[in-house]
Amino acid sequence: MEVGQMQRRLIEYTKSLFMEGILDDQFLQLQQLQDESNPDFVVEVVSLFFQDAEKLLNDITRALDQQSVDFPKVDAHVHQLKGSSASVGAQRVKNGCIAFRNFCEEQNVDGSLRCLQQIKQEYYHVKNKLEALFRLEQQIVAAGGSVPMMELSF
Amino acid sequence: MHIQMELQSDVADTQQQMEQQHFHVLAVDDSPFERKLLERLLRECSCKVTCVESGDKALEYLNQLDTHQSNSADSTASSSSSQSPQQEGLKVNLIITDYSMPGMSGYDLLKTVKGSSSSWKDVPVVVISSENVPSRISMCLQEGAEEFLLKPLKLSDLKNLQPHLLKSLVHSNEDTNCSTDTGNSDNVVKMNNNVISKRIAMSPEPSERRPKPKELAVV
Repeated sequence: MEVGQMQRRLIEYTKSLFMEGILDDQFLQLQQLQDESNPDFVVEVVSLFFQDAEKLLNDITRALDQQSVDFPKVDAHVHQLKGSSASVGAQRVKNGCIAFRNFCEEQNVDGSLRCLQQIKQEYYHVKNKLEALFRLEQQIVAAGGSVPMMELSF
Repeated sequence: MHIQMELQSDVADTQQQMEQQHFHVLAVDDSPFERKLLERLLRECSCKVTCVESGDKALEYLNQLDTHQSNSADSTASSSSSQSPQQEGLKVNLIITDYSMPGMSGYDLLKTVKGSSSSWKDVPVVVISSENVPSRISMCLQEGAEEFLLKPLKLSDLKNLQPHLLKSLVHSNEDTNCSTDTGNSDNVVKMNNNVISKRIAMSPEPSERRPKPKELAVV
């Protein structure tokens, strides 16, 4: 596949992620912070997000598994996950966290467990999508092309 | 009004010489992810950044700057540029702190800074939070925070902080202090302005396009 084709594929792929609500504008903000002096910024930040998120999801899972659930603690973890997913543009994960916090407030274990499942699904979904996106970018660069800038209006 | 105009012309004068200078921002957040993002955003605004992970570490750093001006840095703070002793001894022009942190919150840090008798009580403090809680916002502003910004932060939010940074440099040049003694009504106006400016910042704006010439081969 030649570079032009790959670039178009990348743009279409990225657009679809926005259309499906998997990513939001904040992701574009991150892309704008990437330049010659910070060429891997997005990948670095997203990798940190992945690390952060997986640790938090584990912590939340363990906390919900306790005989007596420490809801303030769960809420604190969810709050952090909400923050980082919002900052990275992982919209569905962020929305899941917002819903989760309501269950925490109600001290609803079943609701919380269901919500956690949902968030995990959304998280792995966005992780797969982003990893695919980065692979596409790598392919373009390996073929000697440059990664096209996303347009803000679509 | 007269003071305001004087300040503006001083700001304009210093602005030119400020082109050369880099503001030193102390960024406080317990999340490594947030610290990385803050650091990048601030460096994009031509600031030197020192990141610390807690309010306690922030105070430690400020105290150490105060008492050991010419000594080399405390190893607990990490800096964005190379570890030159000169930068580590650099006065802090702005503190940006997350509100929700374990242990000492951003609010506690704000109170401590503003209530201290050290030189750094006049350093502008900006509080950031992912939660839009009006009572929290007014509490921080009344305690002396310059701004209260909502996460996720955008580059434009930080660029809007430039006036506060310039103000702090003008102060240190003039040795006058114009940042305190604002009455309650000023704080309310400020809060409204902050909320308004945040909303404006959220509307789409022409992006600062940067070419991404990823000519480097992927290994």
